[in-house]
Amino acid sequence: MLKKIASYWIGVLILLLIMAQFLQPDQTNPPADPSASFEAVARPPKELAGVVERACRDCHSNRTVWPGYSKLAPVSWLVASDVNEGRAKLNFSQWNIYSAETTQIKLREICRETMRLEMPPWYYLPMHPDAKLSSRDVAVLCSSGM
Amino acid sequence: MRKTQCRVGMALSCLQVLGACSSRPPSSTSIDPAKLAMFAPLVAIAAPGNGPLSEDKIALGRMLYYDTRLSKSQKISCSSCHTLTEYGVDHQATSSGHNGQKGDRNSPTVYNAAAHFAQFWDGRAPDVEQQAKGPVLNPVEMAMPSEKEVVAVLKSMPEYVAAFKKAFPEQKDPVTYDNMGKAIGAFERNLTTPALWDQFLKGDQNALSPAEKAGFNEFANAGCPTCHAGRLLGGNMFQKAGVAKPWWDTTDSGRYKVTKNETDKFVFKVPSLRNIEKTAPYFHDGKTATLREAIAKMGEYQVGRRLTDAQIQSIQTWMASLTGEIPADYIKEPVLPRSTSRTPKPSEAD
Repeated sequence: MLKKIASYWIGVLILLLIMAQFLQPDQTNPPADPSASFEAVARPPKELAGVVERACRDCHSNRTVWPGYSKLAPVSWLVASDVNEGRAKLNFSQWNIYSAETTQIKLREICRETMRLEMPPWYYLPMHPDAKLSSRDVAVLCSSGM
Repeated sequence: MRKTQCRVGMALSCLQVLGACSSRPPSSTSIDPAKLAMFAPLVAIAAPGNGPLSEDKIALGRMLYYDTRLSKSQKISCSSCHTLTEYGVDHQATSSGHNGQKGDRNSPTVYNAAAHFAQFWDGRAPDVEQQAKGPVLNPVEMAMPSEKEVVAVLKSMPEYVAAFKKAFPEQKDPVTYDNMGKAIGAFERNLTTPALWDQFLKGDQNALSPAEKAGFNEFANAGCPTCHAGRLLGGNMFQKAGVAKPWWDTTDSGRYKVTKNETDKFVFKVPSLRNIEKTAPYFHDGKTATLREAIAKMGEYQVGRRLTDAQIQSIQTWMASLTGEIPADYIKEPVLPRSTSRTPKPSEAD
């Protein structure tokens, strides 16, 4: 009897997962104008640009590299939501939308959040070990020479 | 039995504590200093970008600001849509211009506008000096046919000619359209409204009530400072209208009209929150009548959160601390130069 119930629910789950694949979020990257990028507008030191590219690009730019697993619902919904929110909060591909004041605010926030290990998010790191920040990386992000 | 009584007593105490928590603001009435790092008090005078702000230039700008003769019908001045006694707005969804024509965007407040990093909702002018030259020639607004016609109006009045000479003493022929913009901009640069919020940021912990502090915490926890930060709590970046959910009205493509970049579709300058409770209606189309409604929409469309009525009320309470005092003496309407026989007559023609 229990086996029957378990089979029934496993069947329902599989069916829901199959149906969920038809509800995919938009994962098309918006255009990225190189002249509007962080590199072009802020002209950061090479090392800093490298850390940003390695640890922040996927969620905070229009050049997201969508991994294979991000195509499978419901993971696809979570990843798309994170990327959408990440771009809205800070977008290295559209650095020209920020004033000098906002730039300073954003840079301070980057420093604060990386120092507190709030960024990159812990759940992002297992699949993206390169994004793990060393203390040197955090120091670079917090450097005032930007 | 005693054990049972004790357990019941403990449970009641817990319920009392929970009850007390739920009837008070959800966050404590102190503010995490880390959250305040994104804000700064208003500076007395927005940084001048076009030479020194002489008293003569400001006085000339004040006259020009109030002068309806800078419009074709001679019925509209800067003050018509940016009424200084009304916190720099006219409370219309979109303002009425020449022959009652309606503009397509809400008239933003002119208070503290000089400190914005760009002007107009789409940021198409870099500063207030450039902005001031826009509406005068806009056929929907003040509708003057050309810069030449504006200069002719100004030159027809000797008092204006003298005022321009005093304001721009280094120039041989100072009555120009550019200088009109510079003088109006100079006047606007002192339209600042320091508020209780500034006193708080400068260290006066009692400047904000516990309810206002709780309101700020709600504002910060909801993620609003992502865009509304800095001295003006806005006015310092562009953002897409409809980040978390598509904006309900996409007829206005925003900054895209200026840049033609796909990424600028539905992007607008983030408005400042200073005096926000006094500057209804809201957003670029002015179609949101109340602040309560505006906060709810921001939660839903920008940060993807359905704010409760209590959260909205709390944020609104804090926003009252952003309302500054209108500089009554500074904005006093001046005596304007008298028209002469050479001054062009008003025209109602389209």
